[in-house]
Amino acid sequence: MSWASPEDIYLSTSLASYLDKKLLVLLRDGRKLLGTLRSFDQFANAVLEGACERVIVGEIYCDIPLGLYIIRGENVVLIGELYTCTFLLIDFVLIDKDVDKEELPPHMTRVPEAEIRRAQKAEREATDLKGTMRKRMEFLDMD
Amino acid sequence: MKFSSKLSPNSDAAKVVSPFSSTTHFHLRRNRTIAAKDYREHSDLVGREVTVELKNDLAIRGTLHSVDQYLNIKLENTRVVDEDKYPHMRSVRNCFIRGSVVRYVQLPPDGVDIELLHDATRREARGG
Repeated sequence: MSWASPEDIYLSTSLASYLDKKLLVLLRDGRKLLGTLRSFDQFANAVLEGACERVIVGEIYCDIPLGLYIIRGENVVLIGELYTCTFLLIDFVLIDKDVDKEELPPHMTRVPEAEIRRAQKAEREATDLKGTMRKRMEFLDMD
Repeated sequence: MKFSSKLSPNSDAAKVVSPFSSTTHFHLRRNRTIAAKDYREHSDLVGREVTVELKNDLAIRGTLHSVDQYLNIKLENTRVVDEDKYPHMRSVRNCFIRGSVVRYVQLPPDGVDIELLHDATRREARGG
């Protein structure tokens, strides 16, 4: 029997190589959580420190702070390493900018939580309306 | 027995469950079949470009880094096929995908040796 060397975790499918990194966790209900991975197990249960939910509606977004989260693995769709350009961190001109910003397309703007909640509600109502309208039109049998 | 006889004729990418064992086979486009359980087959594909389609219709293309027995997949240099629809995925370059949410893995057409795979499947079907 040969022992696995510490470097082997980078070759395996375990989440060990993502420990202590800032990650994006996509959940089955479509929510996106950001945070630092502190622990995990074989079910992809994960402990996220400094977790926040990123709500995106159209071209606006908001990061809502949540705190320390344990995510049950069955709800996890994908865990992605957030790519942040290291040169941005040493570039003093850019350091003043919102560091989270470069993770998203440049035209997206950050808004306060109240505003994103309003936008979220409006979007939900719009999709609901679309659903009911489609249901009413069903007898026309358009396809 | 040919696996093609088990495929529904109108789907070009159907998931096929082998009648012989609990092995799940993925019948991929262009008649490529892969035994998911025998994930060592995938190891030939480590380093190749694959597209992983998830049950939530998100399709991610990237270099296969590793696969395990649950079909958990790690991809590198990922990009989402429909990037405008998923802006939050722009910042993700490396990712871990939980096997339970995978619908298809689209392999490169030359990625699988069909003869070898058929032999391995028959061997497994015989139980050794």
